Amino acid sequence: MDEINTNVSRRRFLQATGVTGAAATVALTIPGTNPERGSAEAQTRRQPNTVVSKNICHQCPARCGIDVYTTDGRVHAIHGNPDHPIANGKLCPKGPLGIYILYDPDRWRGPMRRTNPQKGRDVDPGFVPISWDEALDMVADRLRNLREAGESHRFAMLSGRGWGTTDIGMMGQFGALYGTPNGNIGHSSMCSDGSMKARFFTDGNDSYNAHDYRNCNYLLMFGCGFLEAFRPYNYNMQMWGYMRGKKSPKTRVTAVDVHMNTTLAASDRALLIKPGTDGALALAIAHVILTEGLWEKSFVGDFADRINRFVTGETVTEAATPGPMEDPETGEMVTPEVEGEGFVPRWTHGLVDWWNIELKDRTPEWAAGITDIPAETIRTVALEFGSTRPAMAIFERGAHAHTNGVFNAMAIHALNGLVGAVFARGGMMYQMGPSYGPLPANLADYRDDYAENGPWRQQPRIDMQGHPDGYLLARNMQQEVGPNSLRGEPYKLDTLLFYQNNSIWTAPNGQVWEEALREIFVIDTSPFPSEAGHFADLILPDHSYLERYQDCGPMPLEGFAHAHLRVPAIDPIHDTKYFGDVLIEIGKRMGGRMAEYFEALESSENVLRHMARGFEANPGDNGVDGWDAWVEKGIWYRKPYMWQLRDGTFYEWDGIDYARPMDAEEVKQRLLRTPSGKFEFRSGRLEEHAEWIAGATGRDPATVMFPIWEEPVHPGGGDLYLSTPKVALHAEGRGSNIPMVIAHLQPTVGGRGEAFVEIHPETAAARGIRDLDMVRITSDVGSIEARCRVFAGTRPDTIVLPMEYGHWASGRWSNAVPGGHSGDCTVNQSDRVTGQCMYYSTKVRVAKA
Amino acid sequence: MPNWGMVIDLETCTGCQACTTACAMENSRLPGENWQDVLFYSEGEYPNLNISWLPRPCMQCENPSCVSVCPTRATYVDEGTGVVLVDWNKCIGCKYCMVACPYGVRFYMDEAPVVEPDVREAFPARGRRTWNPPFRMPDEYEDPSKGIGIQPSGVVSKCTFCHHKISQAPEGVADLDEDNPETREYTPACVRVCAPKARFFGDLDNPESKVNELIAEKGGVRLREETGNKPKVYYLSGGGSPVVPGSRSRRG
Amino acid sequence: MAMMTDTSPASVRGNHFLLHLIAALALLAIGGGYVLWEVFQFGKVQFNTTNAGIHWGLAIVTYDYFLLTSAGLAMVASLWHVFGLEEFRPVARRCLWLAMAGLIGGVAVLFLELGNPWIALWATPLNMQMASPLFWKVLLVGVYTILLAIVLFGMINKPDAGRNPLMMLVGLLALAITLVAGAVYGMMAMRPMWFGGEIPVVFLIESFMGALAFTVFFSHLKNGFSHGNMRPETRSLFEGTLARMFAISIALHFILHAGRAVTGLWSNAEGLQVWEYLVAQPMFHIALWGCVALPFVLMVLPATRSNGLMQVLASLLVMVGLLISRYEFIIGGQMVPLFKGTWAPDLLPYVPSTGEWALLVLAVGLANVVYAFAAWRLGAEDRG
Repeated sequence: MDEINTNVSRRRFLQATGVTGAAATVALTIPGTNPERGSAEAQTRRQPNTVVSKNICHQCPARCGIDVYTTDGRVHAIHGNPDHPIANGKLCPKGPLGIYILYDPDRWRGPMRRTNPQKGRDVDPGFVPISWDEALDMVADRLRNLREAGESHRFAMLSGRGWGTTDIGMMGQFGALYGTPNGNIGHSSMCSDGSMKARFFTDGNDSYNAHDYRNCNYLLMFGCGFLEAFRPYNYNMQMWGYMRGKKSPKTRVTAVDVHMNTTLAASDRALLIKPGTDGALALAIAHVILTEGLWEKSFVGDFADRINRFVTGETVTEAATPGPMEDPETGEMVTPEVEGEGFVPRWTHGLVDWWNIELKDRTPEWAAGITDIPAETIRTVALEFGSTRPAMAIFERGAHAHTNGVFNAMAIHALNGLVGAVFARGGMMYQMGPSYGPLPANLADYRDDYAENGPWRQQPRIDMQGHPDGYLLARNMQQEVGPNSLRGEPYKLDTLLFYQNNSIWTAPNGQVWEEALREIFVIDTSPFPSEAGHFADLILPDHSYLERYQDCGPMPLEGFAHAHLRVPAIDPIHDTKYFGDVLIEIGKRMGGRMAEYFEALESSENVLRHMARGFEANPGDNGVDGWDAWVEKGIWYRKPYMWQLRDGTFYEWDGIDYARPMDAEEVKQRLLRTPSGKFEFRSGRLEEHAEWIAGATGRDPATVMFPIWEEPVHPGGGDLYLSTPKVALHAEGRGSNIPMVIAHLQPTVGGRGEAFVEIHPETAAARGIRDLDMVRITSDVGSIEARCRVFAGTRPDTIVLPMEYGHWASGRWSNAVPGGHSGDCTVNQSDRVTGQCMYYSTKVRVAKA
Repeated sequence: MPNWGMVIDLETCTGCQACTTACAMENSRLPGENWQDVLFYSEGEYPNLNISWLPRPCMQCENPSCVSVCPTRATYVDEGTGVVLVDWNKCIGCKYCMVACPYGVRFYMDEAPVVEPDVREAFPARGRRTWNPPFRMPDEYEDPSKGIGIQPSGVVSKCTFCHHKISQAPEGVADLDEDNPETREYTPACVRVCAPKARFFGDLDNPESKVNELIAEKGGVRLREETGNKPKVYYLSGGGSPVVPGSRSRRG
Repeated sequence: MAMMTDTSPASVRGNHFLLHLIAALALLAIGGGYVLWEVFQFGKVQFNTTNAGIHWGLAIVTYDYFLLTSAGLAMVASLWHVFGLEEFRPVARRCLWLAMAGLIGGVAVLFLELGNPWIALWATPLNMQMASPLFWKVLLVGVYTILLAIVLFGMINKPDAGRNPLMMLVGLLALAITLVAGAVYGMMAMRPMWFGGEIPVVFLIESFMGALAFTVFFSHLKNGFSHGNMRPETRSLFEGTLARMFAISIALHFILHAGRAVTGLWSNAEGLQVWEYLVAQPMFHIALWGCVALPFVLMVLPATRSNGLMQVLASLLVMVGLLISRYEFIIGGQMVPLFKGTWAPDLLPYVPSTGEWALLVLAVGLANVVYAFAAWRLGAEDRG
């Protein structure tokens, strides 16, 4: 694997240096003026003895394959893995910084125990080193006691960036064997669950989309920071270079956001929209697509007589579908052609109702008054989007982290339904999973009676996920864990373990978490200091990602299956332990069946070796057929994606082409996994829970199943919207402590050495604020300071402060960056339907500090 | 001898700054020592607002003013590659080259750190190195006479076009392309990392090179032609030809 | 009124110079002490130049100010030594010692500013980069220093030493240093505020004017700020030719300075917008009107021209004004960022750090130490 040495032509080298010597000037050969050049060593340069190992970048969820270059025991470079279908040899700006993260001087050196019972921002935890044995015993004893007291539900584990089977998968297993509903409370609601849920309610897939950008001709982007934060960022930029530089025709891009960023600047059209109104824009676009007859008829359906009756303000009818009848001549049962003026749906459900109830009056003129975008512009965008195929509407948190987020997101995704982008070439699809082998032991065989039937079974999750009194339809509600435990509703936590998670800082209004964690035994497993670690009673530091074996399941890419592996580049430089092994070691100390299970697993590496056996029967396109090959390549993948929608028919890959037509039942099982098996403009799943939603939110049960317009509500008590985007260099919690990031942060929202809050010139002038002044940002929950950048690219009613800095316990550099943390004045408010944490719904007051 | 040059396509550049960080880590630069910077500009008022950005490596000029002002010849044009280098054994830190560079691509780090606390204190100096991070480039690459590696105190540093890479390239290749396994390891870090492939690196003296093709077909332009420095970095901006033709000939 | 005698032995030259020496040593201790403490404690990072674009700060301003004053003083001395103008004989010796004093003060600052000053000593002459104005500047200053030292060595405690033919070379070198120092800036086409063939001439006139100011000041200092203490031929020089020459040089300086400001204000060329900023600053007007126009008026009107106190006032104003305009010139030329920074490119801010001010104090102190010591022990003020 010594890639550098194998390809170098020594001859070429000697020639180059020889010529240099001959051509050297008199001055250069004066003895003493240039000892290095004159020396014999310089004539034949020494070649570094470099080893390249495979890994997966850890600074965002994208799973870019990386080549880690190690020479003489020092890791000194990270390049994109050229044989990796996400990285393709490339990296985003975060990737190369991984070598700094490994050697971050602020990293924990080993396990530690807190000696100061007091907890607080300014309280020194008084950490003292302990041995791994002591630390693991301490946790096992504590958990065993809790279990013996019948209070095992009061143990919770929170995960942030989880990767696969041996970390968050192990958390779930640990919880199931131990007996807690809180085995792995993920952070997805604080990420972008609103986006997944909108897809779940419309096309039936509870997931992010994979995309076929390579063949897409029109991109309509809502609040997704495609060139800053949208994942997989590195791959997105590769696609951007292709779409905008090489592809014919060049992909046209319209981008919607609340401030000018690099994405908007690089797009063909930039629309600055009033925060929380993206749904209104999408509805108006849908309106125009329908009234202009631009919808994809082979997918959506058409009026029986092919005359477009979508006229503004007028209702339409759905065609009565005649039942099968006997052909009088042949005697066979046939389905007659539908006749008349009714609409005949094809792969969609509920368009007529949606039009009649919502869309018929959602004109561009109506939307202009809500969104601040001129009606003529909306009409132009709609005509472009509706008449260009393939076209895609993509969106993330900017559009749906608002009180009306579920409807905004559904309205945007409905556009993909209208233009037939789902599962189409140049459109979007869903991610296929890898074929792993079975684990060394079967979990179900090891659950003891307590795990099966203990009193914990009667307890809800601490975050009230899945509970009618909480968030029945949500995936996770991590933002509620701290506040719920503090209130004691449903109960108080006893022990809380953080994995890759710092929600005391990342959750909105984290001040509440600070209160909550004072009364909880906190275990942090991060390799780095963090706010969660500052409140921890026990630190069990993980390896950094360049020091551990770890599997990474797929994140949506192009749909085809892939599975990734981290391979350590060097031995751990500190006394740390991989989190998966920490759980296994605690499990072994728990006694009983639980210990037997973890003894059977042995170690995370053993688990990985078993998983890799699944590749033997199903080798990857890159020849990965087992553990050794997986270690060598760092990825297993199999192309192609299996399904495609074409001219109104779904086809499955038959080994050569998308040629085998699928019937409606197959489509329902595999692709459009809704109750109707169609793309639902009238959501069956929401309809099913309409009464619960109405009860929980006060909404009209007759319309909650449609993508409708609902006026957003903005808590916080201020007059300016607070938008807190993530930036390209946001390296998942560590970027803020990397001096190179602090120096380089993209200046549309950052600056040299700090992050700016962008304020429109008029807004600033009205408050007597000048460029580079420190300003105070205040909401009902808190107040922070930040340095102002007067910027005409931000809406006058909005201020923009990136969620990047304002740390107080994450390392010496992040602590030193001036300015506060946006979360301290963000109100914790969640969408009752999707569970989405509404990071962008708070309104704040701004004044000169 | 190859005459290495670079082409940067502003049409596909996304302003992500990967070139900046890749350069910083490849060449062990200090925070803010942006050999490869990306400059952002904004002007106007929405909807007539413009944000633009310009990736800016050293232009590696054919007539480099930094070389002619250096009183000790510490800055010189490398014979084998045509790259402008700094000999740290001879640099006196007078900073005249920084004053004379029309492109602001030179750095003198014996100044207040761009980011506090000073990262040099976390990785204290050893020997001639003014800081000593474990992630620095392999010792074998370091060459103070070419300004490669971690600098001693009181000297000026600059982009070397990753001289330690490109100088090892196979003889006669027209382009150092990261997508070509034969040339990947010799490609400058900023080019190799560039996700939208907005950067190209090749031999300007080789008529077959991709860089020459791009300059001709897409109308490559150079910054500040009026200074006569004749950069070897060309910028493309989407058109088939430059909007304003250069007033000087490209060669000679 | 005790007349200073031509041949008073060192011991009786009086407390006058000893006091001056003590005061100068105090200045040197303050400035130098602070600078050295800072350099050893933090390194040269305390000097407030940055990679953002201001590479040459107050230290370089100070260095050039002292160097050019030194060269100007050598030229004034050459009026007698080279051209045989007997009128200037009374000030020639003083000017040469002052030239050495200024040179040492300036070069000391440069050495403290440079990253690797000792390498400069050998690397510059050995590498023969003839295209670099700094190469010539270093070379010329080196030879100038040596020859000036030789000339001065020949005068130590020899009040009757005559014209030194070596001064032809010293004068020539002084002239060349001034012109090359101007070329260092004037050749920079990428810095429009500096660029122009007239800059060496500007520097020549400024250094000559500055030298006359220093001549005026130190001659009065020696004579207790009273023309009555002067010998008749000295007095006639100061009330006649020298004062007129001073007036003319101030006038030329005013024309060149104001002329460049007007050109800069009128032109829209990138880089010249600095003039708008400079002209909006009070310092610019203090320098132009208070420190150039006012002394000119003082030196033109017959009533004030020959008045000793007015001469001292004019010389002090010119010294200060020259420092301000040199500062504005050197910093101003760098204020337009060249492909550095972000957003709408503003002019770069620069405020000298305490360390840089201390360098100025150090230079003033050191130069005065040299002069006062020479006057006290080496016969710098012995009548020749």
